[in-house]
Amino acid sequence: MAYSDKVVDHYSNPRNVGTLDKSSSEVGTGLVGAPECGDVMRLQIKVNPQTQIIEEAKFKTFGCGSAIASSSLATEWVKGKTVAEAMAISNTDIVKELALPPVKIHCSVLAEDAIRAAIGDWKQKNGMAETEAAAQPVATTA
Amino acid sequence: MPEFASAVFPGAAPPGADYFSVFNLPRKLALDTRALEQAFYRQSRAVHPDRFAQASAERQQWSLEQTSLLNDAYRTLRDPIARTEYLLRIEGVTAGGRGETPAQVPPELLAEVFELNMQLDELRAGDGDPQLRTDLEAARVEFEQRLALVDGELARAQDEWDQAVEAGTGAARGASAARMAALLDKRRYMRNLVREVREALGATLGEA
Ligand code: FES
Repeated sequence: MAYSDKVVDHYSNPRNVGTLDKSSSEVGTGLVGAPECGDVMRLQIKVNPQTQIIEEAKFKTFGCGSAIASSSLATEWVKGKTVAEAMAISNTDIVKELALPPVKIHCSVLAEDAIRAAIGDWKQKNGMAETEAAAQPVATTA
Repeated sequence: MPEFASAVFPGAAPPGADYFSVFNLPRKLALDTRALEQAFYRQSRAVHPDRFAQASAERQQWSLEQTSLLNDAYRTLRDPIARTEYLLRIEGVTAGGRGETPAQVPPELLAEVFELNMQLDELRAGDGDPQLRTDLEAARVEFEQRLALVDGELARAQDEWDQAVEAGTGAARGASAARMAALLDKRRYMRNLVREVREALGATLGEA
């Protein structure tokens, strides 16, 4: 299958691959998986406690090119956004930006889930768990 | 010639027939693969394009379609995993590939899968740590065992499905179908891991 240029770009030159300190209270970690293909993705954010702005984002994805590109793009997009703004990123934005074909939509869903899971983890760590249910990947509606 | 064909092969699959009905089989998962193979060859001969070389274009087309349907059906049904996935699909229970709503994967499983992938990554980076290799060997054994475990559970769920089909109990069918779907999801992770571990180990052996 032919990948779009943007997918190839992110895939061959992924942004923000890496790890943040999982134990820090400023870091939220989202680990999600796509059972239809057996791919896994971890996305981490580091949030400024004063401003709630996501100052850093890292990812590590074991999966297909579209999943790698989606998570790479997701880290780029969440950086500089507030947590609330980052929550608004949806997989359809990712699909559009990367021109993903229908069979690769689930890869972008995985990235959206990872953002939400990371934010959910961060909120829970910081005692903001009341909205946590909305941040669980299983509760997202596609 | 066409009349002859339909007389010899009245069971020619109607358009849109599912793979089980192509071979006149009930939608059960226990399947005699030798009998399936024989049926496949028998039915293939009956619709083989060579027999319709002189027939109308329409008949030839029909022969091609039947042949390819038989091939797809046979290839899907002879493999127990593909058979199960196919059954769940035509039953409307989507095992994976469910479009936009990913199913829930147990978090411990994800964490474990992720960890092992990280270890594999290190090995691929080739830092030559002998301990890592030992760890990977251990991981390979463990993941092969876990794959076998999932397969064991799957076999039980398949049995339950067949019993439910025989007994005609809808609720039991639904329950075992859901269990099979979840197990197939889990199995995909295990299968990937086993494959990746083997690849990583094979690669280092090759280099040594
Ligand atoms: S194929 Fe599964 S995440 Fe892309």
